[in-house]
Amino acid sequence: MTSLSKKFGSVFVINDITLQVKKNEIFGFLGPNGAGKSTTMMILATLLKPTSGIVTINDFNIVSHPEKVREHIGYVQQEITVDEYLTGRENLILQSRLNHIPKNVAKERIDEILKLIELENKQNDLVITYSGGMRKRLDIAGSLLHKPKVLFLDEPTVGLDIQTRKKIWEHIKKIRSNFKTTIFLSTHYMEEADELCDRIAIIEKGKIKVIDSPITLKKNFGSEILNIITETNIESIKSAPEIVHIKKSVNEMILKNKTIKISSTNCTKILPLLIKSLLKLEIEIDSISMYPPTLNDVFIKYTGKTIDQENVTYNMKREYRRLRNIKK
Amino acid sequence: MNILYDIYSIVWREVKRYSKSKFGVLIRLIQPLIWIIVVGNTFTETSPLIASVGFSGDYMQFITPGIIILTAIFTSIFGGVNTLWDRRYGFINKVLISPISRSSIALGKMIAISIIATVQSCLILGISFLIGVAIPTYFNLLFVITVIILFSLGFSGISVIVASLARSQETFWATINFLGMPLFMLSPALFPLELLPPWLSTVAKLNPVTYTIILIRDVMNEQTNTNHLEIGLFIIICFAFIITIIASFVFTRDMKKPF
Ligand SMILES: Nc1ncnc2c1ncn2[C@@H]1O[C@H](COP(=O)(O)OP(=O)(O)O)[C@@H](O)[C@H]1O
Ligand SMILES: [Mg+2]
Repeated sequence: MTSLSKKFGSVFVINDITLQVKKNEIFGFLGPNGAGKSTTMMILATLLKPTSGIVTINDFNIVSHPEKVREHIGYVQQEITVDEYLTGRENLILQSRLNHIPKNVAKERIDEILKLIELENKQNDLVITYSGGMRKRLDIAGSLLHKPKVLFLDEPTVGLDIQTRKKIWEHIKKIRSNFKTTIFLSTHYMEEADELCDRIAIIEKGKIKVIDSPITLKKNFGSEILNIITETNIESIKSAPEIVHIKKSVNEMILKNKTIKISSTNCTKILPLLIKSLLKLEIEIDSISMYPPTLNDVFIKYTGKTIDQENVTYNMKREYRRLRNIKK
Repeated sequence: MNILYDIYSIVWREVKRYSKSKFGVLIRLIQPLIWIIVVGNTFTETSPLIASVGFSGDYMQFITPGIIILTAIFTSIFGGVNTLWDRRYGFINKVLISPISRSSIALGKMIAISIIATVQSCLILGISFLIGVAIPTYFNLLFVITVIILFSLGFSGISVIVASLARSQETFWATINFLGMPLFMLSPALFPLELLPPWLSTVAKLNPVTYTIILIRDVMNEQTNTNHLEIGLFIIICFAFIITIIASFVFTRDMKKPF
């Protein structure tokens, strides 16, 4: 995809995105709510037309050959779209009919996929009796029936508890290896991007900040993070010569309220130096911690903020209201 | 042939959902039954009045066609509401990225709603048999059912149009209530048109419900004047056909817009 943009009204929701997803990789789109992830997904799934830019999936242009593209893709929407008043199996039968899969082939595939997704035992129960995680798995299963080469998963584990999410991650990995599917997923969960994706793109306000593998991103960040919490506010010592000196020798140093955060390749050397300086400046230390950088640290570096987990927990009603207001 | 298969897929889904809900089947029967019991028994004294305009049976025999059509109207005109859910919860998106033909979605929905409305109406018809309403021959019965199917198809089309244009549940229900009740009341469902003031009866003559009820009432009571019958049938076929075309056009156009 090259220079993809999408405007709603006069606002650019996606702004000049360029990226390439490799065959059989799991590519993650990591960004906060409203970053433009779902919009991008919908464009890729041929449900929305881009304002500008060129996108090809398996060599087919999404604008000029949407039918060809649809043959090759599976798309699982952010909302759970299975039919509550049908059984699990009936949902899959419906999906196979929508995809014009002949009956005998469909039967075999449904059996195979139900097994993979571990819903064999519940297949004849109404979906209304399923848990959120089971519904999502069924939804994913439905998108696999026509054996798509590329699978789009829009926030596949949003709103689910951690055990359920881990289970879905396992399934996603299994799908990739069993069906040789290329997977493009979006998420606002750091752990999900970290655990699941070969490469990620950090996206914020419709712009891509960086694309790389989580490992490289973390490595490039500086090998370690040093976090010191003090008893008193340290804003006043910002310009003390000792501190300025230390700041010069590290990748990044942030002083704010009562915390000092340093990222550096040799924190072990920096630490004694810093303690000495703090004592000299008569700053009491409350606690010290040192850890390898997380994706969250990387995310903060590129976007200047963290994804506030409290605020982004998926709220369907709120999301719907938000969309409705825009679309009026 | 693909389009028939696609239509069938959609019908299959809708009918399957309907058949899973035994409660829904029953609840839809309650309202028409109340009408039969309350109205049917309250106005039995009006038989002479009805006889004065040339109807020979008792009042129950008179209103049964009206109540059957009441069932058909409301079952089908409410039927499109799940279109709103389907857009809201992504089923429509799912269908749009499948190779299924676009027009089959609207057609499938309408046919399914029409089937469901017909089943409900036939249940009422069956109940009315139990309380003594009669129908002359099997052929007449078959004819009545055909008319109900066509009529419900038209009304399901109205429902689908409203659901496509309404962006919210509130708008849908407000519009549907605004349409449904007057269409029912401005028809000879409960009383003969001859008893209405002339201007109202003129308005009623523009209402497709009027022709349907007259047609069914005539066929159920063997007061058949073939000429009359052909015109009625023609009007209903035109009604169903035109609405179906408009509905599939509006639906197909609107589904492509993001919701
Ligand atoms: N149909 C629409 N019309 C106008 N604005 C929209 C529409 N859909 C989404 N938006 C806006 O586009 C931005 C990106 O939304 P979305 O792609 O849903 O983000 P994400 O999936 O990353 O949370 C949001 O600010 C949202 O309000
Ligand atoms: Mg989203």
